[in-house]
Amino acid sequence: MVQASSVEIAKVNKFYGPFHALKDIDLSIAPGKVTCLIGPSGSGKSTLLRCINFLEEYSSGEIRIDGQLIGYKTPGGAKMSGRDLRTMRRSIGMVFQQFNLWPHMTALENVAEGLRRVRGLSRTEAEARAAEALRKVGLGDRMANHPSRLSGGQQQRVAIARAIAMEPKLMLFDEPTSALDPELVGEVLNVMKALAAEGMTMVVVTHEMGFAAHVADRVAFMEKGELVAVDAPARILHQPEDPRIQAFLRTYHERNLF
Amino acid sequence: MDPMIFVQYSPILIRGFGLTILAWLLGTVFGMALGLVIALVQRYAPKPVTWVIQAYIEIVRGTPFLVQLFVLYYGGPMVGLRLDPLPAGIVGLTIYGSPYFAEIFRSGFRAVPHGQIEAARAIGMAEPAIVRRILLPLGLVSALPALVNFSIILTKETVILSIITVPELMYQVQRMSTETFRFLEGNFVLALFFWGLVEVISRFGRRIETRITRHLIERP
Repeated sequence: MVQASSVEIAKVNKFYGPFHALKDIDLSIAPGKVTCLIGPSGSGKSTLLRCINFLEEYSSGEIRIDGQLIGYKTPGGAKMSGRDLRTMRRSIGMVFQQFNLWPHMTALENVAEGLRRVRGLSRTEAEARAAEALRKVGLGDRMANHPSRLSGGQQQRVAIARAIAMEPKLMLFDEPTSALDPELVGEVLNVMKALAAEGMTMVVVTHEMGFAAHVADRVAFMEKGELVAVDAPARILHQPEDPRIQAFLRTYHERNLF
Repeated sequence: MDPMIFVQYSPILIRGFGLTILAWLLGTVFGMALGLVIALVQRYAPKPVTWVIQAYIEIVRGTPFLVQLFVLYYGGPMVGLRLDPLPAGIVGLTIYGSPYFAEIFRSGFRAVPHGQIEAARAIGMAEPAIVRRILLPLGLVSALPALVNFSIILTKETVILSIITVPELMYQVQRMSTETFRFLEGNFVLALFFWGLVEVISRFGRRIETRITRHLIERP
């Protein structure tokens, strides 16, 4: 079992110029729980996710990881130092829609890079741990491959290995399967399920309703920068009360009919 | 064409060509280094600093190399900067090339997908490590063809050094021409030597390119 973080999001707002991207978001995530963020595109799901590790700056409100405010020294105050932010980010893993592997490094080097440059491990030690992480995502035989020689699913698993090798207490997934061919989605979701089963706190922006239904502890539905509802997956996905969720699911189901 | 004059003048022509290569090589290497520093400072420095550097870029790019060289060589002593012809030529090439190289590096950096930088930030990498491990290697790959291209342009700018009496190839060719009244031969030598040099540089550039892009090309 991993040591897992809690996330507390309180009254978070985000503006891009005049555009109000996040509106008074409140969301709390208990340690070891999996929360899926769903909703139409442009609803602010990814923006909210990216605020959690401060890749995106939020304009007001508070985001706390294990009680510690991220991004700012005090709520509404000055930004925290780069060093403090990096220290917090070390225990937050992130997986991107476009994988974002470094193309000039092999799978092993991609995973070992953070261990060497951030954790300061020796090359030998870092590569041993990186190999372990790659075996965990089922890529023990692909370690010497560059990303250009891996399928999308394999690349995304390397990206997950890169994150978990750092031994994070919280994992953020930004539409991890949206850029994959349908037949490659399963292998990535399986790795994510295994991670959830280990007790990792996970926040997942996804369009995979099946994953949300079966793996998530809670599902949060967002629309137009608002958090419309947060509840057990069944309550959101099967008996939604809010007409906005009903409309979203109707479109989703229609698209998946054939 | 009188082949005998080539035989007669070959020692000084070869010495001149050697000096051309030396001035080009050092001017290019230093110009690239300065350009890289400028590109990095432009990326990370606070606004007022970038304005000053932008002004430098505009001035150097906006004026002819000939004028810059005159100012450096003949104007320099007025402010206590006394340089011999060759060092002045190398410094001149360095200054002249730097803003072009800076712009090439800048576009190389811009070609690095932002997501790959974010991935490094997300695991807690510090900015210097990101520059060294991600931005530079990937940016250089994108910048390489343009870097080679501008280095080739610079070879031909070296002829201007003859005006401040650097005894490089152009200087020696002019000497040969005025001494023998054979101007066609002189131009022939210039064309041949520069063509050869450019050919070598471009082949070398292509070889490096093939080498460093071998892992970056999609071939599943």
